[in-house]
Amino acid sequence: MGNQIYAYITHPDTAPDIKNPPTFDPLYGFPNGRKERVLPLSREEMDRANMPLDKRDYCADIWLDYLTCRDKVYPLTAKCDHEYHKYYDCQYDDFVLRMKEYEREKRLKERAKRIEAKRSKEELE
Amino acid sequence: MATLRTSCRTVAKLKRYLVQRTVATSSVVSNWNKDWQPGPFPKTQEERIAAAKKYGLRVEDYQVYPDDGLGYGDYPKLPIVSGEHRDPYEDWDDPGSKTNYNEVRHVDHDLYLEYKLDPNRKRQVSLNKQLLQFLGAVTAIMVVYVLCEPYPFFQPVLPKQFPFNDLYLEKGGDPSMEPTVKHYTFESPE
Repeated sequence: MGNQIYAYITHPDTAPDIKNPPTFDPLYGFPNGRKERVLPLSREEMDRANMPLDKRDYCADIWLDYLTCRDKVYPLTAKCDHEYHKYYDCQYDDFVLRMKEYEREKRLKERAKRIEAKRSKEELE
Repeated sequence: MATLRTSCRTVAKLKRYLVQRTVATSSVVSNWNKDWQPGPFPKTQEERIAAAKKYGLRVEDYQVYPDDGLGYGDYPKLPIVSGEHRDPYEDWDDPGSKTNYNEVRHVDHDLYLEYKLDPNRKRQVSLNKQLLQFLGAVTAIMVVYVLCEPYPFFQPVLPKQFPFNDLYLEKGGDPSMEPTVKHYTFESPE
């Protein structure tokens, strides 16, 4: 609810656009750089597994592990609980990363607004 | 033979106890459903008087359904007094259905029994007011919905990131124009 109040009432100008990727340079403010996200799977491997598009995210390798495990132990699929749990941990971490990106976008927008305000104030003086 | 005669005598003795005279068995006016069938539509004044007398009504009270092919012959058109509307403290011949013996019934009598329709009912809230209340509630909800539609609820997250340039080729993009999209975690590289 607080996000709605922020985005619609108090700060409509600095609220991030949730339908588009971040607008600022992703490496800005990281002097040592950032670790790039890589999927330890190739397109061909995912094609071979006939994966639907919504499963081809950065957790696809864990999902593929889970499917392989299921194939191995079927019908005792409860033995793959570990892989299943790992997959949803990965999804949770992915969601946290998206929340962090939102917060970063929001703070950078506020910072840009502060800098702009300071600059125009100095111009007036 | 003697046995038969004795049995007949016994039955004759018992007959008045076995077959009791009730309202149903001692019906005077009509005994069979063909007797209850209404007569033809009354055309002359004499026929009207005769029909009114047949149904026990006064001539000025006697009204007939129009003879348009869907009428009921000379059966009278009575005002609707539903079962629920009848006085429960009156001394009815049949208190169960609140009717008197030989009473002329409405042609749709079975529709206005106590547990069925009640057109005479006095409503606490009139039908028009009910409709207004219903439409008012629906309109209020619709107004709130339409006003809030440009401001949806959302989670504070940016769009989900996908590998291989956000699945550009998988979503049917042109291979010659594939962009390079890099995604980063918030950790620093070793």
